[in-house]
Amino acid sequence: MKVRLTLGLVDRPGTLLNVLEQIAIHGGNIISIIHNRDRITAGYVPVSINVEFPSSEQLEKAKSSIESIGVPVMESETLEKKVETFLLIGAIDIDLITSTLQNEGARLIGLSLIGSSKTPCLKLIIDTPLEKRHRLLKSLQSVISSSDCLLIREEEN
Amino acid sequence: MIRALILGYGFLGKALAKRLLNRPVEELKIVGLANSKGYLYKRDGLQLEKIKEPLEDNEGFEKGRATELLTKEYIDLLIELTPTNISTGEPGITHIRTALKEEIDVVTANKGPVLLALKELKRIADEKNVIFKYEGTVGGGIPIFSLVNKCLQGDDIISIRGILNGTTNYILTRMHFEGLTFELALREAIMLGIAERNPTLDVEGIDTAVKILILANSIMNLNKNLSDVKIVGVTKVTPEAISAAKDNGMTIKLIGSIEDGELSVEPRLIRLNHPLCVHGTLNAINIKSNVLKTLTLIGEGAGESTVASLLNDIYDVIKERHSKIKF
Ligand SMILES: NC(=O)c1ccc[n+]([C@@H]2O[C@H](COP(=O)([O-])OP(=O)(O)OC[C@H]3O[C@@H](n4cnc5c(N)ncnc54)[C@H](OP(=O)(O)O)[C@@H]3O)[C@@H](O)[C@H]2O)c1
Repeated sequence: MKVRLTLGLVDRPGTLLNVLEQIAIHGGNIISIIHNRDRITAGYVPVSINVEFPSSEQLEKAKSSIESIGVPVMESETLEKKVETFLLIGAIDIDLITSTLQNEGARLIGLSLIGSSKTPCLKLIIDTPLEKRHRLLKSLQSVISSSDCLLIREEEN
Repeated sequence: MIRALILGYGFLGKALAKRLLNRPVEELKIVGLANSKGYLYKRDGLQLEKIKEPLEDNEGFEKGRATELLTKEYIDLLIELTPTNISTGEPGITHIRTALKEEIDVVTANKGPVLLALKELKRIADEKNVIFKYEGTVGGGIPIFSLVNKCLQGDDIISIRGILNGTTNYILTRMHFEGLTFELALREAIMLGIAERNPTLDVEGIDTAVKILILANSIMNLNKNLSDVKIVGVTKVTPEAISAAKDNGMTIKLIGSIEDGELSVEPRLIRLNHPLCVHGTLNAINIKSNVLKTLTLIGEGAGESTVASLLNDIYDVIKERHSKIKF
């Protein structure tokens, strides 16, 4: 799995090398490193490292090792996302849908309302981190289960 | 020579008889034809070209249950083609159970018995050392069971999904290409004889669920029943939704699937260039496996093409019997 780790490095030679060692120990493969020198705060330089780990367990272990050498992991964000289209047929509260998406860490990148007020149809284009996809689907299904709506998701390849 | 009884002489029974008349199977003799009223039986084989319709008008037609033939006369193969009943499985289950117990091989396209009594019927077949085949129950003429059993031995099937109901696929196709409403497309399908007068089982997704269950229990060795399948039909699909899908290079199809041990039937958005995206009354089945990875079969899922499945099963019986030199 590919992730972007944003770390707060103290601006001291050798710190980055230490971090990279921890990543390598846990099987991480570095894809790229970006120093955000313009975002230095309280002596920290935020560094974003894109890494590929063999599994989520190894990612978690690497994160603990990095923290154990005194480097805070400020953010860990998956780089594997899926953009997919959903259709919602029937009358539904749009706010309810958008808040569900937000709660599940999905991003709404397209929203359109098609059809008349008698036969409304909502088209949603959603960007979801892969590992959150299953949960998002269950949440959406449970949100609409009390309504008379039909949720149509995209068939995988 | 295999002496066969065609039990259920409706659309499929007649289509099979017609095919056998035009292109006889060397080792096969039809000794009996039966419908709900009774049967015609001739020990040394019926002359199919002389059979009149209805069956009752033929000389020698006996009123009564065809099961009598299974227990009293010498029959090697039962071709069971009575109507599918998904609540009781009858009369199919009784017919097939009786035959297997009498050491008669069975070929069927009747979904009821396979849905409700597969384990029991397989067990009896094993105990009696007879053959029980049901290729025609799913996907009409598409050879899904034979393919998996004969061509993917040693591979592991991970998932199966597909378009398994021609009626709903016809309706959704007409909605996609002509912008018809569901109701109009359904009426058209009934007029054309594609949908039955009571299309509930098709449009509510139940027929697809039955087929998905047969695939799950038979190919993936699961032990599921109808209540384990999440079923959503196509009645709520609107022309607006299909047009919204179209704008993104997609359409809506009724997909049955077995994925991660979960069984579902629901309308899904599907890319127009997806291998499963077939139109009209066509069916499509996609299997994912560890070694081969992915394979998609497309074909007519009902109608006369189902005879191809019946014939293949019949040939399997003949070949297996030959290899065992039972007769
Ligand atoms: N048609 C297809 O495209 C297709 C495709 C795949 C699978 N199947 C399955 O194949 C089976 C046959 O289909 P079909 O379309 O040929 O059905 P069908 O046209 O309705 O014919 C059914 C036949 O079974 C007879 N029958 C009913 N109850 C009986 C009983 N108790 N004892 C003896 N015979 C009885 C009927 O007798 P009467 O003539 O006296 O009414 C009729 O001859 C069904 O289970 C169906 O689900 C059909």
